[in-house]
This record gives sequence, C-alpha cells and structure tokens, in this order.
Amino acid sequence: MTPAIRVHGLVKDYGRTRALHGVDLEVRAGEVFGFLGPNGSGKSTTIRVLMDLLRPTAGSVEVFGTAPAAGGPGLRARIGYLPGELSFPARMSAGEYLAYLAALRGGRGRRRTGELAERLSLDLSRPLRALSKGNKQKVGLVQAFMHDPELLVLDEPTSGLDPLLQREFLLLAREAGAGGATVFLSSHMLQEVEEVAGRVAIIREGRVVDLDDVRALRARAGQQVLLRFADPVPLAEFVGLPGVENAVLDPSDGVTLTCLLRGDPMPLLTAAARHRVVRWQAEDRELEDLFLDFYRQPAEPTGPARPAPGAGATEVGR
Amino acid sequence: MTVRGGTVLAGVLRTTRRSLLLWALAVAAVTALYTAFYPSVGGGQMDAMLESMPSEFITAMGFDSMTTAAGYVTSTVYALLGAVLTLVCAIGLGARLVAGQEEDGTLELELSAPVSRRRIYAERLTALWLTVLVLVLALSASLGVLSAALELGLSATNVAAASTGLLLFGGALGTVAFAVGAATGRRGIALGAAAAAAVAAYLLSYLSPIAEAPWMERISPFHWYIGAEPLATGFDWPGLALLAGLAVLAALGGAAAFARRDLMV
Repeated sequence: MTPAIRVHGLVKDYGRTRALHGVDLEVRAGEVFGFLGPNGSGKSTTIRVLMDLLRPTAGSVEVFGTAPAAGGPGLRARIGYLPGELSFPARMSAGEYLAYLAALRGGRGRRRTGELAERLSLDLSRPLRALSKGNKQKVGLVQAFMHDPELLVLDEPTSGLDPLLQREFLLLAREAGAGGATVFLSSHMLQEVEEVAGRVAIIREGRVVDLDDVRALRARAGQQVLLRFADPVPLAEFVGLPGVENAVLDPSDGVTLTCLLRGDPMPLLTAAARHRVVRWQAEDRELEDLFLDFYRQPAEPTGPARPAPGAGATEVGR
Repeated sequence: MTVRGGTVLAGVLRTTRRSLLLWALAVAAVTALYTAFYPSVGGGQMDAMLESMPSEFITAMGFDSMTTAAGYVTSTVYALLGAVLTLVCAIGLGARLVAGQEEDGTLELELSAPVSRRRIYAERLTALWLTVLVLVLALSASLGVLSAALELGLSATNVAAASTGLLLFGGALGTVAFAVGAATGRRGIALGAAAAAAVAAYLLSYLSPIAEAPWMERISPFHWYIGAEPLATGFDWPGLALLAGLAVLAALGGAAAFARRDLMV
C-alpha cells in the first residue's frame, strides 16, 4: 500500500541558512502519526513542503505517492491542513470565512461546518477579528476537518485550546483515524500526542532523530522516581538494578533516593520494599528530557537518522 | 469536485468592497470639485493668471491649454488628482493582494486549498483591475454629469479615450506592484518599486520639454497615457498599446516567479 507520506533526504535551505538537513519519514496510510520537536526544529518547514508552499532544496517528498508540486490542487483536495500560525482576513465572520474556504473546495465541507462548530462550541456569527486565540484555533480545526479529508496535516493543533477542547480535538482526531484517515500532527509536547498517536517521529535541528512506537518511546523515556524512606538506606542496594539509572541518595539526609526508571518497575519496587517507604513519586519525563538524552548518547541511533548533537542551523558555506 | 471560477475573485471583492466604495466616492468627489470650478476660473481669468507665471513653470505643469475645458480637466483631474488617487489605490491594493496578505499570513489557507497558484494569481489580479475600473468609471460618470450640466462641451468619445488611458495607466502600475509582490512576497518592495516607477513616469514626462530631451517622454508611461491629450484629441492607440504591453509584461513576469518560488517564508 502506498504510504500517505514519504519523505526521503529532505533538505531545505532558506537563503544561506539550512533549515532541514535531510529529513526521512514514512507515514503509513490510516495511521495517526505524531511529529514531535521543539520550536524551530523544522516541523513547520517540513509540513509546508508537504503542502507545496515550500519547494524542496534536495531530497524527495511524496504525498499519496505524488510529489506535492506535481499533485497540485487535486492532491491538496485530499488534505485538511491546519497551519501553525493562523491569521484571518478582516471584516468577515467565522461562518463567512468557512463558507469561503468550503467554496474553494467546490463546496465540500459546507455541510459539516455547523456540526463541527457546535462540537467545539464556536460561534460562527462572530467576526474573525474579535476571536480569541482559542477561538481562532477552533476555526482552523473546523476548516481542516470539514471536508473529511483522507489526510489531516495538523501543525500544533492543540495550541491555545483549553483542556476540555483538547479532549474534543483528540476525539475528532481519533474519529478521523477510525474512519480510515491518516492523521499527521505536530507538537512540541509528547503528552499532547501520546494519547492519540500510534507512532512518533522526533525532529531536532532539521533531522529526524528518532522514530518509534509511542509506547516504546514512552518506556524508553522512562520516569523520574523519588523515594523517601523512614531510615537511611545503602545506595548500593539500588545502583545496578535492572532499569534503574542515575540513582542518587540525598547526602544531607540519606533517606531520599532519586533515580531514572526505564522499563519494568518491579526490581526497584522489590528493593525498596525491604525498607519502610514513606513517600513515592514517579513523573513521566517530558520531551525536553528526551532531547537531553540525545545529547548525552550520540552513539545510540534508534531511528533512520543518526542524532547529531550540535548540528544547528549551520551556514551553507560558499 | 473542483473550485468554480471566480471564487477567489469574489472572496477578495467581499473583503475590499467597503474601501472600494469609499475610494470611488473620493475620486468622484474630487473630479466634481475641480470640474465645477472651471466656469469661474476658466476662459479670461485663466489667461490673466497664466500671464503672471513663468513660462517654464507653465510648460512643466502642463498648463499650456488650461484655457479650454478639455485642457483644464486634463491638467487638474486626469493628469493630477484623479491620476494620483487612482495610482495610490491601485499600487496599494496591488502590493497587498499577494505580498501583503502573504506577509500577514491570511493567504496561507487559500494557498493550501485545492486551487492552483496560477488561478489565485489570475483571479487576484482580476480583482485589482476591476477595482481600478470602478474608480475610473466613478471619475468618468462624475465628469460626464458635470460636463452636461455646465455645458463644457466635452465629447463622450474623448472622455472614454482619456478614461481608458487612466484605466490602463493605473492598472499597469498597480500590476507592477502586484507582480513584484507576487515575485518577492514582500509588500514593502512591491510598494517601493511601483511608487518609484510612478514618480519616474511623472518626472520624465514633466522634465522632457524643459530639458528638451524627447527620449524622456518616450519611455514615460505617464506620457503614454496623457501625452497626446486624449480628452481633446480622442483615442491615442500607440500610447494605450504601450500601457497594455507594460501591464502584460509585468503580469507574466510576476506569474512565472510566483509559480516557482517558496511561499509563506
């Protein structure tokens, strides 16, 4: 089956600045795929190449087996796109603008605007200029979903939405996925995509540094664990346990142990249970921590591209 | 399902219709104001006033034929305020229709919709020309009504000739702004290039007789438009053809660059 998105060795230069250093990516038809990276890592640039707003400097890009420039309007008709930054024309209501965007699709999507607006509690009669950031985001979501596209390309879809609406968005994305659509969504936060995405690619400084199942990624990311005991414990009992890294005992009291836990928690729990535990705290680590790992362990490639610490937006020499 | 032709055009006109109406009213009002003054300043009084001016100044300002109604309306409306208002509107809109809306991000959803770049370009350019047409029609209507009421004796054909010239002059320089904007994505560059072209066109035309350098007139779009005094002599086909050629060249160049470059950068 043709993948929904296939990106190979994508390089993009802006003048003398290189924004993408050879991005590799394959999104299977029908999957919900997370595209993670910090701000300025090349997420939006990659997405704009998919939408044929930008043209590749080198490398190949295919959406449903066709290069975006060659696919043209026919290809874009199959895509719903939410830009990372939305700006709307003045002197139009949300409803008028959505009707205009539907008209650009030959009327497709006009039927669903009302229903989607209701689900996201968006008032269609309000003028676009008067909308808050969250409400603007809703307009963006409605226009991306309204024509039931085969592929949804969503750049930071939950930014500006309150938690309730984030839920509603996740439902929408899941429904689209269940209906057979491919969903490609970017974010700078792992927790935003992990509930809905099956696989995740991590982009950093213009390169995909990791591509994996979201659960495997979460397991590898691990948890930051804090244990407090009633009496001082020997550190040696915890160092070297399977899945336990960076175990440190607070030298000031000798009873507070912190460590990074990856994988099965049983060995740590068993070891801890030999003493009286008075406090247990485990926190999922965030994307930023994962990036720190990539800096620390440059020799452990897990995705199709090797992590490249320090390879920022380098100048293309001339 | 594909988009119906004119969808982009209708969308643009919907957002610009209010300011277009104001521009048209302003142009009509300015035309009426100047034309209505002719009976009180024209004829004998004008001769006396002109005698007090240095002859170089009269030549430079194109006041040679101010004593006739056609000369007066040409100098005040077609060559001066009507043209300036039309240019300001056309260049401003031309720079905004692609470059301006790309810079402020409002074009992104349209560009990612299933509409080709070529069609977006063509329909937005059409919106520009329709806008200039409305301004020129407002000017012509205002002039026509006053000419009849004050019995200025301007022939309808000549008014049409001068107005066609203004349509092509304003449209061509607006197209320059539009095309430069579409090629660069920068509103400032588009405005600067077209405004510089307009100022150069005026200067070349006014300075040519003083400097006794006929080549200056020959390359001035302003001269192509008004040099043959169409309000007195009727359609100046070579001049109109040159203006149309300028517009077509600019439009094609802009379209070629727009189809190729990175957008929303």
